Amino acid sequence: MTILLAVVIISVAEVVILSLAFRTFERADEKRARLELERAAQTERPRSRFFGEAAAIPSSDGAALEALLARLERHVRLEQQAAQWFLDNPTPETLHHRAPVRPHVTH
Amino acid sequence: MTTTVESELLLDLPPDAARSVLLLGTPATLEAGTVLFDLGGDADRLFLIRRGRIALTLPMKVEGRVADVLVEEKVGGEVVGWSAIIPPHRFTLKAAATVETSILAIPREPLLSLLEAEPTLGYALTRSVARIMGQRLQLFQAMWLRQMQRLLEANPAGEWSGR
Repeated sequence: MTILLAVVIISVAEVVILSLAFRTFERADEKRARLELERAAQTERPRSRFFGEAAAIPSSDGAALEALLARLERHVRLEQQAAQWFLDNPTPETLHHRAPVRPHVTH
Repeated sequence: MTTTVESELLLDLPPDAARSVLLLGTPATLEAGTVLFDLGGDADRLFLIRRGRIALTLPMKVEGRVADVLVEEKVGGEVVGWSAIIPPHRFTLKAAATVETSILAIPREPLLSLLEAEPTLGYALTRSVARIMGQRLQLFQAMWLRQMQRLLEANPAGEWSGR
């Protein structure tokens, strides 16, 4: 009887120890996965919604900001040329076509 | 005193009517970088551009900072500030000269009084403003649709639609 009791107690203790070890391992795994996700979110730059070129510019630099604004200006000018071309020749094709690039005229 | 200016605003007006509008104006020269009017400001004057270039901008958050981003450019013969004629008389853009620019500034109140006193002139000038506004609307409709097309092609699942 004593032996049987001892076996039962040892078995129960083993199950408890094993389950504790398993949970600890599982938590460590979850934590590692969460950290990886957070790191990935920090390093991933938001995708530009309107100006595809814009995302490539490094931030927090005055020169980079000027370059980005210059690109935005160029984009706006090109888009206006393209839109004007569509208005002069209104067809479904010209609406989404690239405009013939005209030089920027200084008056 | 300025009595002749080639301007899109005056295209539909008989010469005498155009002259009476021009007589209300005050010529000015803007150095490059001079702000003609600010977004939200009282539209107390209309500006005919005689020579040079005016950039119309709107504020946009770029790389964490607010910057004036070009929306449209106006050159000699074009008009800016037609909010002076249309209520609620608030400028909806910021305007600044990008090169040395000559303008004719026409004050709102005398202009509106003239248009009320001479309905034929008022009609012709209002029609000119409507044409200018219509052209801008059509241009921006086309630009908006082109951008929407790109957005749709870049994100076919509609990730952009939540904002």
